[in-house]
Amino acid sequence: MKETQTLTASDLRCWSCGAAAGRAHFCPCCGKIQPLPPDTDYFAFFDLPRRLGLDERALEASYHELSWRLHPDRFAQASEAERRLSLDRSAQLNDAFRTLRDPVRRVEYLLWLAGRRREGEARQQAPPELLEEVFALNETLEELRQARHAGGEAAAEASLRRQLEAEQQKLETLLAAVDAELAEAAAAWDRALDSGAAAEPLLDRLNEILNRRSYLRNLVENIRQEMAAD
Amino acid sequence: MARTVGIDLGTTYSLVAYVDQETGLPRVIPGPYGTPLCPSVVSVDPDGSIVVGEAARRRLLTQPDRTIYSVKRLMGRGVEDVREEQKRFSFRMDPESTQVVRVRLGERVFTPPELSAFILRELKAWAEDHFQDTVDRAVITVPAYFNDAQRQATRDAGRLAGLEVLRLVNEPTAAALAYGLHEQQRGLVAVYDLGGGTFDISILKLISTTEGDIYQVLATCGDTHLGGDDIDNRLLDIAREEIRHRFRIDLDAAPERIQELREALIRAKHELSQAEQTRVVFPLDGVVYERRITRAEFEDWIASIIDRTFGPVRQALADAALQPAQLDEVVLVGGSTRLPLVRRRVEQYFGRRPHTELNPDEVVALGAAVQAGILTRGAQPMLLLDVTPLSLGIETMGGVVAKLIPRNSTIPASAQELFTTGVDNQTGIEIHVLQGERELARDCRSLARFTLRVPPMPAGMARVEVRFTIDASGILQVRARDLRTGQEQGVEVRPSYGLTDAEIERMLEESIEYAEQDFTQRQLIEARNEAESILHYTEKSLASEAAAELPDDDRARILAAAAALRQALAGTDYKQIRRLIDDLNQVTLPLAERMMNRVLAATVEGRRLEEL
Repeated sequence: MKETQTLTASDLRCWSCGAAAGRAHFCPCCGKIQPLPPDTDYFAFFDLPRRLGLDERALEASYHELSWRLHPDRFAQASEAERRLSLDRSAQLNDAFRTLRDPVRRVEYLLWLAGRRREGEARQQAPPELLEEVFALNETLEELRQARHAGGEAAAEASLRRQLEAEQQKLETLLAAVDAELAEAAAAWDRALDSGAAAEPLLDRLNEILNRRSYLRNLVENIRQEMAAD
Repeated sequence: MARTVGIDLGTTYSLVAYVDQETGLPRVIPGPYGTPLCPSVVSVDPDGSIVVGEAARRRLLTQPDRTIYSVKRLMGRGVEDVREEQKRFSFRMDPESTQVVRVRLGERVFTPPELSAFILRELKAWAEDHFQDTVDRAVITVPAYFNDAQRQATRDAGRLAGLEVLRLVNEPTAAALAYGLHEQQRGLVAVYDLGGGTFDISILKLISTTEGDIYQVLATCGDTHLGGDDIDNRLLDIAREEIRHRFRIDLDAAPERIQELREALIRAKHELSQAEQTRVVFPLDGVVYERRITRAEFEDWIASIIDRTFGPVRQALADAALQPAQLDEVVLVGGSTRLPLVRRRVEQYFGRRPHTELNPDEVVALGAAVQAGILTRGAQPMLLLDVTPLSLGIETMGGVVAKLIPRNSTIPASAQELFTTGVDNQTGIEIHVLQGERELARDCRSLARFTLRVPPMPAGMARVEVRFTIDASGILQVRARDLRTGQEQGVEVRPSYGLTDAEIERMLEESIEYAEQDFTQRQLIEARNEAESILHYTEKSLASEAAAELPDDDRARILAAAAALRQALAGTDYKQIRRLIDDLNQVTLPLAERMMNRVLAATVEGRRLEEL
């Protein structure tokens, strides 16, 4: 089977009966499961536009319905080739659902599709107004680590812990603000799509918010780990 | 039509189950001893024949160097992994062991999948006896927290046993399936599974759809080295220390005595689930180690082991973004959940009484049978959506792991990566696949390595897309495609801790030889047992009063036939033994008649006495 990146939906024919199958999961003619066209993105898989706001309950219902039809359990008695297709399609289904159901991953994925982000890459960007505070925070974390290793006074350690807890709460508040900012930018992206306005600058903005977000998340995670360790 | 079964291949016991076509309910299959529990023990006779199950378990005492238990602990593990194990349970690692552990039993050497295959073959035989029909396909359960190598090893064992493994199902998920049929639960369910060797916790969401029920696993976590064995080892350590202290006796040099002591302590453990106290009496050279154990004392000893289970429990809940109180149901699975301490702790933690309606030893096998029914006949409108317990990644520059598929992703799951060359005319790209949560490759579990082939060209020009897919059994598959030509490329994966296809092929050839031998061996063992009991009975009869009146030539014929049979027992020809059993039966007929007459006479006399 020769595949190129320039397939259009009308070129896609059923491997079994030759009818035009498009991007459908199953051939509309003979009902056989179809191979995944190489350029199918997660939005296309669910037959969704590339919008950031989506009905999460409808997505889940659609996920469950497709799980019933695509899961390898349903093909246990089928031919080797169909079992293979079911494996690929249901893997894609799970990957797509995992990505799209989470608002943050959804943005990351959109940016990746737009070539703004490489997969697995979590670029972090420290908000300039936070730099001084982060410096102090790292010092406190280091002190706690040393206090633990030295097995020193409990009182000193407890005081450090209280400091960190306060810091953690503050960061969580900041994180919530960034999440709100992200949601707002995502809504702006959808509005731009609907109105046909230039959406490009919004991608940069989404990217910038994500980088800030992952930096904050990392800080919160560091504190959490340090507090949980003993 | 050949049958399909569900198998729970456990650390301590293994079971086989099927779905009854009439009732639609799963049933376990009892073995020749009347119990469905087949001890996961394998022993090798001096003549090379293999003994499995209860008969093998008895040999732990008499032939410890020819017998192995808890093979599951060795599945998919490397030599370095099991050094610690060796201190705990007596098995002899073959010095030839490379990445895959090889175990020496008597004169022979086996890999863990081969040993597990003997257990699977025994269960297959139980099922075949039950159905009077062949069994060639199975669903086998594995701990949810098993990594890829451990899963591969289990699947290899199935293949070696002559079973097509339709699916590996995670043990807690299988239990949820069995409970689902039984209870019709809804909502969020936690399955706490503490077995002989492993601990798993799975959090599931049960969803009703128009098509049927979906069992979606939200998160799973566990410890593949935490279970009843650890409790037994703790008891053994304490007892051995007390024996050393009190009597200055060191049991190190006597593995068979250690095994006896272990069994006595296991009995005590079981008793303490019912009684408030128990007593261990263990005779040593000239002295007796006697010890009263109260439940409180026992619980004090093992509390830290039970506490360890809650680390994974917290992790799984955190991954599912749930609080303990949000769960609707809690299900207990595995023999070790019979311990009252476990039940109390679980109830305290979740704030609700856990389900224990189904036998915790059987529930996993029952669930495996349900899944086998789903796969072969679409028997139940149920769908399992399970997850991969560990993140999958590849090694990148500086030994850092790039995660491709995060843990708790629903399976099947996949990821694609694009690879290129770093220097001109480079013809191979080395890929190292790992599983685990740590940042550095050296802290994760190495799964496999493979090399992508590219034609010589300037650096950075090659474009090879690799697709990593975790299938519904949790096992990794790798495919590569050259994007310039669109050609799929065969990838030869070198497993880090598993058997290669070539090794499996060779073992399969050997196992065909075993399969025949197995049948012959079974016949031989049965014939020998029967011969021994008839010889015993003949001897007793010859010494009886009735035999006194036996004519000399009758007696001589019996003695000759018995001698011939006894001689044949030393051989391995079961047909000859059967023939000589028949011969002996024939020549003892006159004696049997005489004895029967005496019994009748005595009965008649007795009656007369009564009548008087």
